[in-house]
Amino acid sequence: MVKLGKQTLTKWQLPLTLVLFLSGLLLILALRSMASSGTLPSRTQNENLANLIKSQESQIAGIELDVSGRRNLLNTFQLNSAAGRQTLADLQNQIKQQDALAGFTDVQGPGLVISLDDNRKDAEAAENLNPAQYNPDDYLIHDQHLLYIVNDLRSAGAEAISVNDQRVVATTEIRCAGTTILVNSTRLAPPYIIRAIGNPDDLTSVLESPENEYNILKMAGFPVSEESSPAVLVPAYKGSYQFSYATPK
Amino acid sequence: MWLPILGLLLGIGIGSTLAIPIPGIFAKYLSVALLAALDSVFGGLKSIIEDKFDGAVLLTGFFTNALLAALLAFLGDRLGVDLYMAAVFVFGVRIFQNLATIRREMLANWMQKRRLSAQGANKDG
Repeated sequence: MVKLGKQTLTKWQLPLTLVLFLSGLLLILALRSMASSGTLPSRTQNENLANLIKSQESQIAGIELDVSGRRNLLNTFQLNSAAGRQTLADLQNQIKQQDALAGFTDVQGPGLVISLDDNRKDAEAAENLNPAQYNPDDYLIHDQHLLYIVNDLRSAGAEAISVNDQRVVATTEIRCAGTTILVNSTRLAPPYIIRAIGNPDDLTSVLESPENEYNILKMAGFPVSEESSPAVLVPAYKGSYQFSYATPK
Repeated sequence: MWLPILGLLLGIGIGSTLAIPIPGIFAKYLSVALLAALDSVFGGLKSIIEDKFDGAVLLTGFFTNALLAALLAFLGDRLGVDLYMAAVFVFGVRIFQNLATIRREMLANWMQKRRLSAQGANKDG
């Protein structure tokens, strides 16, 4: 170096030393902070982020596929359950109908109300008149009377019949037990109220037919009456059916 | 000549041992500041060779340039403009220019020295 005396040395050496010292410090700090910022320059960071995004997107695609598959399954289940529910509703309706037909429900409709009672007036008179020949049975309502009348009503197309609130069903018996009549194993006493739902005109015409039981009773002087009504209530059968011997084929 | 180099090594050594935690975001700012510092160093070397050395100019230039470069980079981040590029370009250009001047001067001095010693040999001879 030209003109390098001891003076010039000290002149520039010290400031340059300081500057170089600080530069060295700054260099190390800069390198350090680059390392701590995640070691990566922004380009590699971007690449990593891009890869992360791609992998997440492919995951999302997979999950979306899964979700749509499950949605289809859910749809199928819902359709099936709806169909099942429909079948259930249909079956329940069927059961309701069968119940009604079998007599397990109260039913209402147009029909007849027939009242039959023992002929007490004539019985008294007959007793007074001729006690020796007096037969009380002649003046009572018997099971046969009820049976014939019920049969007449059935032949006229009655759909529901009850005797003194005992529903007459397929297994109902009407029989005498001493002085009482048993219907559905229940003792009944006169007056006997027979309710029947059906075509009132048909019922009346068959009932009042001259050769039928009702008319016979009426002619014999029994206190019988019949009335057609648009809303006859026939109560439900309170018993149950049981097939111990009969089995469906 | 050894003192400045010692200073550099000392700076590097102390920086390595001193674990100052700098948040990663500041890395960019430190980088531009370092560039400005390098520019000051080379400017200083050039002034030494041209014999126009001024210690005050060197020191003030070092600090102000480094600070301004970092500030510019920070501002650029906030504004969304790459202002640090200005510092990079300017200081980069100046470093190369200074380096060129240093090289030329050193070459000229060396050539002159050779000529002088050759002449001296001739004179004696």
